Amino acid sequence: MFWHIFKYRLKSTVRDVQTIFWTLAFPIILVSFFAMAFSNLENISEYKTIKIGLVNTQQYQKDTMFQSHITAVSKDENPLFDVTIYDTQEAAAAALSDKQISGFILEDATLHLTIRSTGIDQTIMKEFLDWYLQTASSVNNIISGNPAAGIKLSGILSENVTYIKDTNTGTNKPNNVLTYYYALIAMTCLYGAFMGSKEVTAVQANQSAQAARLNLAPVHKLKVFLSSLCAVNLIQYLSILLLIAYMAFVLKIDFGNQIGYILLASFAGCCAGVSFGAVVGAATKKGEGIKTGIIISASMAMSFLAGLMVAQMKYMATKSFPILAYINPANLIADAFYALYYYNTYDRYFLNVGLLFAFSFVFYLIVFLLMRGQQYESI
Amino acid sequence: MTGKEFCHFYSRGRFFTIETGGEYVLGRQESARGGCMVVKVSNLVKRYGDLIALDHFQLDVEQGEIFGLLGPNGSGKTTAINCILSLLSFDKGEIEVFGKNMTPSSYDIKRDIGIVMQNVAVIDELTVYENIDYFCGLYVPEKKLRKDLVEEAIDFVGLGDFRKFYPKKLSGGLLRRLNIACGIAHKPKLIILDEPTVAVDPQSRNNILEGIVRLNQQGATVIYTSHYMEEVEQICTRIGIMDKGRIIALGTKEDLKGMIRVGEKITIEFLTGDPQDHVEWVQELPFIASVTTQNHNLLITTERGHNGLGSILSAVHDRGIQVGRVFCELPTLNDVFLEITGKELRDQ
Repeated sequence: MFWHIFKYRLKSTVRDVQTIFWTLAFPIILVSFFAMAFSNLENISEYKTIKIGLVNTQQYQKDTMFQSHITAVSKDENPLFDVTIYDTQEAAAAALSDKQISGFILEDATLHLTIRSTGIDQTIMKEFLDWYLQTASSVNNIISGNPAAGIKLSGILSENVTYIKDTNTGTNKPNNVLTYYYALIAMTCLYGAFMGSKEVTAVQANQSAQAARLNLAPVHKLKVFLSSLCAVNLIQYLSILLLIAYMAFVLKIDFGNQIGYILLASFAGCCAGVSFGAVVGAATKKGEGIKTGIIISASMAMSFLAGLMVAQMKYMATKSFPILAYINPANLIADAFYALYYYNTYDRYFLNVGLLFAFSFVFYLIVFLLMRGQQYESI
Repeated sequence: MTGKEFCHFYSRGRFFTIETGGEYVLGRQESARGGCMVVKVSNLVKRYGDLIALDHFQLDVEQGEIFGLLGPNGSGKTTAINCILSLLSFDKGEIEVFGKNMTPSSYDIKRDIGIVMQNVAVIDELTVYENIDYFCGLYVPEKKLRKDLVEEAIDFVGLGDFRKFYPKKLSGGLLRRLNIACGIAHKPKLIILDEPTVAVDPQSRNNILEGIVRLNQQGATVIYTSHYMEEVEQICTRIGIMDKGRIIALGTKEDLKGMIRVGEKITIEFLTGDPQDHVEWVQELPFIASVTTQNHNLLITTERGHNGLGSILSAVHDRGIQVGRVFCELPTLNDVFLEITGKELRDQ
C-alpha cells in the first residue's frame, strides 16, 4: 500500500508543471541571473597596486611629511601605490598619455593631481590626497600650538600604524556573494512548502473532493499522508541537488569539498520546507490561493532576512534581533552552507542542521495534531 | 428470521449466497419488508450551528435495491450520505452498514463500499488508467487482480479509447464516467452515487444511468441521490423524497404517486374565448379534483383512481366548444413533492 501510494504521488508531482517550475526551473533561472550579475563583481573588488607619477619639484624635495606618507603607502608586499619619480611635469604627462601611470602628483604651493580619465584608480588617488591634506592641516594646527607634540605626531602618522590585524580563521576567504547563492538555496528549500501544503489538501476531506474519496478508502489517512510526504520530500531533495549541481559544475560556485555535509544540509532544508507547507496547509482552511499567498509571503520574508536580496540584511537582522538567526529556517539553511564553506569546525553547521530537523519535527507534530481527527464538522 | 436463511452478496465479480450464521455475514439484519439490510440509519440529527441539516433522518436500504434519495438542493441528501460514510460527525443517531456500526475506522466495511462523489474526484496529473488503478489500489493490494478490475472498469464505463488521456483532455461526460470508474473498480457491494449526472449531456447521462442499472443487475446495492426526478423514476426501485433534512415520503414510484389525490393532469387549449368562463361547469363534472387556468389553457386534475378525460371531452363536445390541443399526463414525483410540501421540487 505504501509503495502504491508513493509511486503515484511521485508520478503526479513530477507531472505537475507548476510545482516543478517553482521548485526547480525558477531557482535555476534565478541563480543564472545571479551569476550574470555577480560575474564582474569579484574582479571589481579585487585589489591591485596603482601606478602613479610624482614630479620631483623643489617643494616636494622640501616636504618631508608628504614624502614620508608617500613612502608609507608605496612599501610593503602589496602597496597602495607604485610611485615613479619624474624630473619634469612634461615627462610625467607623457607617461600619463602613454597610460604608463593612472595619474601624477605635482607639488608647488599646494598639491595638484592630473588624470586623463575617471575611474577607481583615480578616485583612490584623489581620496589619498584629500586625506593627506586634511591630516597635514591638522598637524600644522597642532604644531603651531605645541611644536614638540607636532613632531612626534607627524612621525606616528607617517608610520601608518594599525592596531587591528585581519586574520582568516576559516578554510576559505570570506565572500559576500556566496550569501546570495546560499540564501537562494534556502528559498528553494522553502518552496517545498507548496508540495507540503498540497499533500495536506489531498488528504483532508473538507479541503478537496479527491481527499474525500481517499478518506472513504479502507486505509488510514495518515498512512496515505506519510507515503505522499516521502514522495514529495524525495522530489524536493532531488530538485535541490540538481540546483546545487548546476551551481557547482556549471556556474562554478564554491561549496567546499564536503559533499556528505552538503547532502545533509540540503535534506534538512527540504524537510523544513515541506513540513512548513504542511503546517500552513493543515492550519489554513481557506482555499489554495490563500495558502499559496501565505507560503510565498512567508518564504520571501524569511529569504529576505537571510540575505537573498541584500546580503547585509542577514547581518543586520542577526545583530538587531539575534533570535531571528535561530528561528528563521531560511537563515538556518543559508548559514549551514556558509558555515560549511567558511569555518574549520562543524559546531555552527550542526547547530543549524539540528535546528532545521527540530523545526521539521515540531511542524509535523502540529500537522499530526491538526489532522488526527477522521471526521469533519462540515465538508 | 428463523431456520436456514440466506443473504446474497456480490463481491469481486461473483455472487455469494451466505447462510445467516456464517462468519462472512457482518451482522445481518432483516428489514421490515423482509430483505437483507445493507444500510440502516436511525434518528440521525446533524446541525450546522442553528441550522438543522438532518432532522431525525431514518433510512433502511435493502440488499439488491437501487434506492433513490430525491430532494431539492439543500434538502440534506449529501449531508446524509456523508454521515453514513462517517465523513461527517453528527449530533445524534445510529448508523449501521452491513449490520455493523459505521465509524471512520471501519475499514472492513469501507472495503465493500464504492462512492461516486458529486464533485469529480480524480488526479489531474494521472491518466485515465492510472487514476482508476490508484484508487482501486487503495482497496485491492494484489496487482494482478487489480489489473483485471481496472480493465473491467474501463470497459464498463466505455473509456477504452481514452485510457492514456489525462482528465483535462476529457469532455464533461467522459470525466464523469472516469469519476464513476474510480468509485466502482474494486467491485463494491454497496455503491453510493451522489448526483453523478450533474452538468452532464443527455447522451452521457443515459450511459451513466444504464451503467448503474447494470451494476445493480450484477448484484450491487445502490444508493442514488439526485434532484432530477426523471432519473430517479427511471432507475430506482424504491425512492425516499427528502425535504428539510427528513424523508417525507418513501416507497416505490407507484406507491408515492398513490399517496396523492391527483390521478391525471389534463390540459385543454381553448381556441376562442376565455378559459376562465369554463372553470365552473368543469368543476361540476364527476371526479374532478381541481380546475385552474393558464393563458388559453384549462388545467384540470382528476381524483386518484378515476379517468376523467372521456367525460370532459364529451361535455366539451356537447357544449359545441372549439378546442385545440388536449394533453393528459400521469402525475410525476414533482406532483407528489408539490402536494406534500406545497412547493416545486425543481425550483428549490
